[in-house]
This record gives sequence, C-alpha cells and structure tokens, in this order.
Amino acid sequence: MNNKKSSTLSKVLSYIGRYKFLMLVSALLAIGIVALTLYVPILIGDSIDLIIGKDNVDLAAIAKLLITAGIMVVITAVMQWIMSSINNKITYHIVRDMRNEAFSRLERLPISYIDSNSKGDIVSRIISDVDQFADGLLLGFTQLFTGVLTIVGTLLFMLFINWKIALVVVVLTPISLVIARFIGTRTHSMFTLRSKTNGEQTANIDETLGNQKVVIAFSHEDEALERFGEINARLEKASLKAIFFSSLVNPTTRFVNNIVYAAVALTGAFAAVMTAGASVPFTVGQLSCLLSYTNQYTKPFNEISGVVTEFQNALACAGRIFELIEQEREIPDAPDALVLTDPSGEIKITDASFSYTPEKKLIEHLDLSVAAGKRVAIVGPTGCGKTTFINLLMRFYDVNSGKIEVDGTDIRNITRDSLRGNFGMVLQETWLIGGTVRDNIAMGRPDATDEEIKNAAKLAHAHSFIKRLSNGYDTIIGDSGGSLSAGQRQLICIARVMLTLPPMLILDEATSSIDTRTEIKIQEAFSKMMVGRTSFVVAHRLSTIKNSDIILVMKDGNIIEQGSHKELLRRGGFYRELYDSQFAKT
Amino acid sequence: MKKLAKFLKGYIPETILGPLFKLLEASLELIVPLVIAGLIDNGIGKSDKPYIIKMCLLLVLLGAVGLAFSVTAQYFAAKASCGFVSKMRYSLFEHIQTLSYTELDTIGTSTLITRMTNDSNQVQTGLNLTLRLLLRSPFVVFGAMIMAFTIDVKSALTFAVVIPLLCVVVFGIMLASIPLYKKVQSRLDGVLGKTRENLHGVRVIRAFCQEDEQIEEFERRNEALTDMQKFVGKISALMNPITYILINVATLVLIYTGAVQVKHGSLTQGEVVALYNYMAQILVELVKMANLIISITKALASAGRIQSVFETSSTMTYGDAELSDLGDGIVFDGVSLRYSGAAEASVQNISFTAKKGETIGIIGGTGSGKSSLINLIPRFYDATEGKILIGGKRISEYSKDGLREAIGIVPQKAVLFSGTIRENMLWGNGNATDEEIMRAIEIAQGASIVADKGGLDAHIEQGGKNLSGGQRQRLTIARALVKKPKILILDDSASALDYATDATLRSSIAKNTEDTTVFIVSQRASSIMHADKIILLDDGEAAAIGTHEELLATSDIYREIYETQFGREEDENE
Repeated sequence: MNNKKSSTLSKVLSYIGRYKFLMLVSALLAIGIVALTLYVPILIGDSIDLIIGKDNVDLAAIAKLLITAGIMVVITAVMQWIMSSINNKITYHIVRDMRNEAFSRLERLPISYIDSNSKGDIVSRIISDVDQFADGLLLGFTQLFTGVLTIVGTLLFMLFINWKIALVVVVLTPISLVIARFIGTRTHSMFTLRSKTNGEQTANIDETLGNQKVVIAFSHEDEALERFGEINARLEKASLKAIFFSSLVNPTTRFVNNIVYAAVALTGAFAAVMTAGASVPFTVGQLSCLLSYTNQYTKPFNEISGVVTEFQNALACAGRIFELIEQEREIPDAPDALVLTDPSGEIKITDASFSYTPEKKLIEHLDLSVAAGKRVAIVGPTGCGKTTFINLLMRFYDVNSGKIEVDGTDIRNITRDSLRGNFGMVLQETWLIGGTVRDNIAMGRPDATDEEIKNAAKLAHAHSFIKRLSNGYDTIIGDSGGSLSAGQRQLICIARVMLTLPPMLILDEATSSIDTRTEIKIQEAFSKMMVGRTSFVVAHRLSTIKNSDIILVMKDGNIIEQGSHKELLRRGGFYRELYDSQFAKT
Repeated sequence: MKKLAKFLKGYIPETILGPLFKLLEASLELIVPLVIAGLIDNGIGKSDKPYIIKMCLLLVLLGAVGLAFSVTAQYFAAKASCGFVSKMRYSLFEHIQTLSYTELDTIGTSTLITRMTNDSNQVQTGLNLTLRLLLRSPFVVFGAMIMAFTIDVKSALTFAVVIPLLCVVVFGIMLASIPLYKKVQSRLDGVLGKTRENLHGVRVIRAFCQEDEQIEEFERRNEALTDMQKFVGKISALMNPITYILINVATLVLIYTGAVQVKHGSLTQGEVVALYNYMAQILVELVKMANLIISITKALASAGRIQSVFETSSTMTYGDAELSDLGDGIVFDGVSLRYSGAAEASVQNISFTAKKGETIGIIGGTGSGKSSLINLIPRFYDATEGKILIGGKRISEYSKDGLREAIGIVPQKAVLFSGTIRENMLWGNGNATDEEIMRAIEIAQGASIVADKGGLDAHIEQGGKNLSGGQRQRLTIARALVKKPKILILDDSASALDYATDATLRSSIAKNTEDTTVFIVSQRASSIMHADKIILLDDGEAAAIGTHEELLATSDIYREIYETQFGREEDENE
C-alpha cells in the first residue's frame, strides 16, 4: 500500500518535473514573498517600539519605517499575483498533460480492455479523478512552498530575536506534523474507497442516462432510481468518513499551535519581567513581534497538515489515473512491420483459433483461402461467430493460434493502420462522431473535396435526405442532435466507405436498417464497387449474397459449408434449410 | 439557488450548529489579543508573575475548548454537506427520470453526466468549506472590528473603512468569475463528450485509423478547457494580493494614527499592539478565505448548472386514468409530429384505427417516419397536431405508469443493462416469476441463449456486449413480453435475426398474444405481410393503408417493395 503510494507520488513528481523552469520561478517568488512578509512585521514591531508613551513618540521615524513597509507590501502583492498565476499554469498544464496522455492511451488500448471495462468508470477517471487531483495539486503548490519557506524564514527571524524562546517553538510545533501524518495515513484508504465508489456511481449514471430512453420506455424510472440510490448512499457514507476524519487534522494542529502560542507568551513575558532594567532588555515590542511570528510560524504547519490530507485524496485519484495511463497498450506494430500498399486482396487463414475467454471456445482450427477480388458472403444463425470473424480480420482481436495472411503476409506483421486503412467497413451498429454530416462522411479521407463528398453521398443514396436537413452537409449530428433515423445514419456510414474506396471491404449487415428499395440501389453501387475488391459480406437477406463467389455457412464458430449459392442449394444442407425458411410461403 | 436550498432542510440542525460552533471557536480566538494585552500591561508592566502564568493557562484552556468546538463543527459541516449533495444528486437523478424524450434530446447526455458527477462534487466541496469557514471569516473580520471599537473609536474607524472595501473586492471578483467557471464546466462537458464518444465508437475509429485525429481533437478541447481555467485562475488570483495590500495599508495607517494618539496620551502602547493584532487576524482570515472563495465560486457556478436541470421540467402532463382495457383499440386521427427544432414534420396527418388483438405492420423507406410514428403510442413525444385515442380516451388522460405499463416496446437499438439475465427481464415486470420469465424468453426464441450462458443468473455486461446482436434483440423482445403488454411494439427489432428465426419468432408471438395489439415496424415485407393492416409510410405521410392483398393491388410502392424481396426470388426458386 505504502509502496504503491510512494510510486504514485514519484510519478506525479515526474509530471511536475516537466515544468522545472516555472517551478524555479515560482520558488524564487515564494522566497521573495516569504522574506518580505516576514520583514514587514519587523518594521511594524520597530515602529511599535518607538511608541513608548505620552510625549515619547518619534513620529518622523515611525513614518519612515511605515513607508518602507508600504512599499514592501505592494511588491509582495505583485509577486503573489505572479506566483499564483504561475502555479495555476503549472497545475492546469500538468492536468492537461495527464488527460491527454490518458486519452491517447485510450486510443491505443486493446479493444478487449474497452470491451471488458465499464465505460463510465473510464470516463470518471479521465474527468472526475483528474479534476480532484488538480484541486489537491494546486493547493499543494500554493501552500506547501510558501508554507515550508515561511517556517524556515520565521524560524531564522525568531532565533535572531531570542533563541531561547524560539527553541520552545521549534520543539513543540512538529507535534502537529506527527498528528497530521497519523491522520493522513489512516484516511488514505478512506479516500481510495470514496474514489472507487465515485467511479462506480459514474458508471451507473453513464449506463442509465446513456440509455434513458429505454428506461422511460419500460417505466423503469423507480428501479433505476433505487439502484442509483443504493450507490449514492454508499458514496455519502464513504465521503462523510473521508471528509470528517481528514478534517480533524486542522483543529488538532491548531490546538497544538495554541499551546505553542501560550508557551511563547509565558516564556516571553517572564523574559521581559526578568530583563526589565537590564542593559539589553527583552522589550514588549519584541514580544509582540515574537508572538506574531509564532502565529506566522504555526500557521503554515496548519496549512501543510491540511495539504497533507488534501494530498491523500489527490494521490488516491492520481493512482486511478495512472492505472489507466499505464494499462498495457495493444502490442505495438513491429518496427519492421509492413506498410500495406495497394494489396491485391488475397486472404488466407490457416488453422486459426480464437476465443474471448479460455473457458468458452469459439473459432477453432479455421482454414480459408480467398483469392484476390473475390466476394465472400458469411451466413449463419445469430451468435455463430460472424462478428468475431470480422474482429479478427480487422485485428480488433488477434488470433490465439494459427494465422491470417493478406497478400502472403501475416497480418500481425503489417502495421495496423495500413491494414485497417485497406479495409472499408460498414457495421450494423452505426456510429457517428459529434460534428457535421460532412465531417462524418470525410472521416476516412479528411482531405476530400466537397464534390467528392457529395458524390459519395449520392452513391450511398444519402444525398437527397442530407440536402433536406436544416443545414445540409453542415448540419451538426451526433451525441444528442440525433434526429436522424437509424437508416439515415447507416446511409452516412455507407457514404464514408464510398468515399475511401478501399481495396478490401467488410459489410456487416450494412443495410439492415435501410428500406429494401433503397437497399437494392445501394447493393448495385456496392456491386460496382466490389469489382476487383476482396469483400466480406454478412447478411441475413440471402437475396443480397446469392451472387457471391463463395458463401461460408458458419455455425458455432466453424465453417460447416462453403461453396457458391448454386452448389450449396444442390447440396441440400444447412444453407438449403436457411434459404427455404426465408422464402417459404407461410 | 432556491431550488437547491431545500435539500438542506433535513440538515437544519447541522447547518446551524456547524457554523455556530465555528463562531464560538472564533470568538475564543478574539479573546486572545485581550489576554495578551492584559499580559503586557498588567503582567509585564507590574512584573506580576502569577498573573502571567494565569493568563497563559487561560490561553491553553481557550485552545482546548476551541478544539472541542472545532471538531464538533467539522463533523456537522461534513455531515450536512455530504448529506446535502447526496440528496441533491438523488433528486437530480429522480428529476432526470421525469424528463421526456424531447428534453433529453435538447439537453444531451454528456452534460447531464458531468452535472451528476463533477458539478455535484464541486458543490459538495464548496458547501463543506462554506459551513466550516465562511461564517467564521466574516465573523472574525467584523468581530475584530467591534473589538477595535471597544479599544478606541478613533482608531477603529480605519477598520470601518477598509472592511467595506474588502467586501467590494471579494464580491466583485466572485461575480466576475462565476460565469467564467460556468464556461470551464461547459468545456469540461466537451472533454467528457469526446471521451464517451471514443469509448462507444472505438471500432469505427480504429477501422478508419482515426486515432490520431481523435487525439488531436481531444487535445484541442482539452487545451480550450485549460486556457479557460488559466484565465479564470488569473482573475481569482487577484483576490489575495489586493486584500493583502488593503489590510497592510490599513495596518500602517492604524499604527501611525495610533502613534499620534499615544503621543497625545489618549492611547497606551499595549492598546496599539492589540489593535495591530486584530488587524493581523483579519489578514490571516482573508488569506484563508481567498482559497475558500475560489471553491465557493466554483460551487456556485456548478450549482447554477445543476439548478438549470431542475428548472427544465417535462413538457408533458399526465392524467390519472389506468389503461385496463383497450376497448375500441387505438385511434390515430390526423396526427402530425414535428420535433422541436426540426424544420419539417416527421409524421404528417396520419389517421388509422388498430383494434384489440390486431397486428399492424408499418413499412416504408429510410427516414419515412416509421419510428416517429410508433414513438407517439407510448407518448414518448406528443403529437403536434391531431389526436390519439386509446380505449376511447385521449392518450394524455392516462397516468404515465398506467400507459407505459400497458405497452411493451422493443426499441430499434437493442440495449441491455449490466446485471443478470433475470434482472434484465424484470425490467418488464418486477414481480414476474422465473416461470413467467422463461415463458417470455421461449416465445422470443431465446431459450438457447439462456441455456448457453448458464441460466437466468448469467451475467450480462454493460450494453449487453457479451452477446451477439441477434441474441440481444431476442432478449429485448423477451423483456417486453415479460410485461404481458396490451400493446406490443416491435421497432425493426428483428433486423439482426436470420429469416428463419424471425419467422418462428413472429408466429410464436402471434400465437401467444391473442388480445394484444401488435405493431411491427420492419424493412422486410415478409415480417408484415400477414398483418391485419399495413401502413405504408412515405416521407412522413401514409401513402397507403390496407391489407397485404389490397396494397399489392393498389400501391405501386408497396408492390415494388414486395417484388424486390420476393418476386424474382420465387422465379428462381422454381
């Protein structure tokens, strides 16, 4: 536990290390500020010493001292502002860096990680945890630095004024740090629990609100609320515990400070009484100065102890962020990995086996050879492994054994980008990015001209409806502006592929939400596009795949039949059964 | 903030006692300079050692009592703030549950999530600090001023001048930064939105090798957030230096005027020290408060955002009728629907009647308004024109639950929730027995899925991603059937099923739901051709309504659809 904490700390420090120069400036400013803030009370103490009694006041000297103090105050204030701005900058830049890193890691994680982790929890790490970390960090910067310096500085000044009394302060005050540490280590686990519960709640919120329409449709509001309420109650408990116990630090250290204060007053007063009339008396001015130093000296202890607890929380959050940032990325492309350019599209699968979980075998010993430019159709009952097959082709997942080759090269030796870039993919589940219709179509080729985009949309039969949208191609779609129907979204996804014209195609139920008349027109466009391109088509409507060169009939992860439409019909096997059921007159 | 204040109701003792104990503690601190003044003037002045010891013990005693007060205050503050936010978050969630589709469309999911999570956390931190410190600081400040008046009215005037100035600075900076913090939060929405988008669209992004572009876009949004944070940070950072200058200048003035008075004999040295100490206390408080004010400002900005969700209330009102019998069935009379913000109506002037037990097929081109039409039946949206009657009553006369409980809907997008299969099935009817659930799953042709996954207790992951598309669809159909609905709506919900399963599914539904009015939206003519009535939609309007045979005879569009799916196939089949 402690080890993990310290390693999180050293990682945080490495982020801070990037801003060495700014840190240095901030530290120098802090030294200046502390020195001046400490110097001002001396000037004031001196002036008080000049106020002795009736008709015994040197007003001119006092004025001079006070004007000097005034100038110091203004300089301090300016430095304070610059330092705060720099601290803000460092903090927010560190936070920005962490978020950026977390996000780019997200883009490189194996899909299996994203498939198997709660999306809301990941969101919570990138948003809430980073934010809480920022709060803690900023507090640390603003208070830790000046705090430590103030302690050192005040100590020096106090030693200078009266070392015996200063000694009293030095011996007593660290008690507060011991207390802060004691409480801090005990609250770390409370903060971790709170962060974890917070993540759990975000996951619940993400899932429920993300599908709020289904919740409404099933009048499931009460049950959803109940489930939320349960987590919410746990979060309340965890927060209360973490907040209350960590907040004990402040009053207890303040109590220690009060004792120190009393001790200084006692020793100081005795010193004053005893040295009264001596050649070097301990003056009342010096005592008031010492008391004010004691206040200034103990205050940072108070603040630092506050920072210590706040930091427990920040570290707990940082730990969760680092967990994400350090998640193992997908195996990077080998340095000598092939960049696939203009492949002919010959695909060979040899003895490939794959399963998502070792307990449940899915694809076993699959062999398949597809000549360049052929059309392959995959049919089979739901859950037979069609989607998994596509996951493997696109390298969303890697085979457990055996291999898949494109143009004679194992796809694991091809860069992912070039492999995927050579496949055009349209899935049944449409996904649009938040942005304009144009952005969405041009996704695979951001440099496409308006003319090309329009042509692609026409080929996908999307142009006519896009034209009628409120802002045409500039209409914003995505997240909540989802006024498009499922079919229209699918048409936009098809236009994307029509624009890139990749050498290999994957169409997984690409037209499932589109009406049959439009579908036929799109099929024609696809047919034209498929000439000379190796293509994989998953479809339930057997009519759309009849003309394929090879039809693979899959069941339970295996190819049980393969051949052309006519051959398979003649064979009278599973395909024949499917075909008959589809066109049987009921 | 009125709407939010009510969540403090259950915590009135805590919200009062917390700051009160804080005040008691603070007032103890105010006594300290008096004790010190006595110590200097009486103790040192008269060399009275026992008096000095007594005074120092008094200081320790004050500290101990202060500790007790403070711990009590912290506890109440933590309890009230955690309780408040927990209640507020619960109510917010509850409130979001009452919003209808229209409001959800306008607000958007990402921002609702930030408001539920990040904004709520900000409010919690802000409130906790407020209860702990906010009252304390002004109390110390004004208390110090009053104590100064008791010492010397003339000198205390300095306090009377500087304190209002401090207020102006503090509130001015707060007012200036609240809108800026709101902007920070809305940029955070953008960052959150991008993150969610990438989690949900990971396959497409990777397929199009968009990772780098997405990272770039994320960094752009993140940079915009950072810029805003830095900007507002600079403004908030003004608070400390400005207050520092004000207080110190006041201190200097105080000492000079004090010196003049001492010279004239109207003030003692000890009194000047006491006045100076009061000023120093104000400074200490303000430094503490500067950080607090930033948290409070953030909290206020977040509270405003939360409040605005509370202020968005559902545009729908419900009656109290229960839907016990369909009676004359469902009647659409000249119904149109135009989504808010849309230029054109999605559904235009539709009239038809669906009797009890009938099956209605809805077919039409992409974007012709099929889903919009059926979304009107459970009142997800209100018709903008015309009226809809169910069982002889206008749809708006039914209570929300009364209506929704009578309708089973299977949405186009098959969504399941994390939990067991049984938990998902209970969405349809919380009291269903295992037998009833299995019965529904069998009708939906899903028995093999349950057997395959290992029973009703098998775990389903978020979104049902450990199931294939077809498996998800069959389970979502089962979920609707568990309700034993009077109206069943299948919105293109068999698209991922192969034709054989689809056909078995339909006949099994038909067999088992005799009194149920079934609406089937589909692209497949085979799915709807046996319906009692088919509504053919074209561009939001009903191009034709009738049976399969009637439409074949009268509608060119329908015939074309049918032929594209059947005609030529049959020829070849022979």
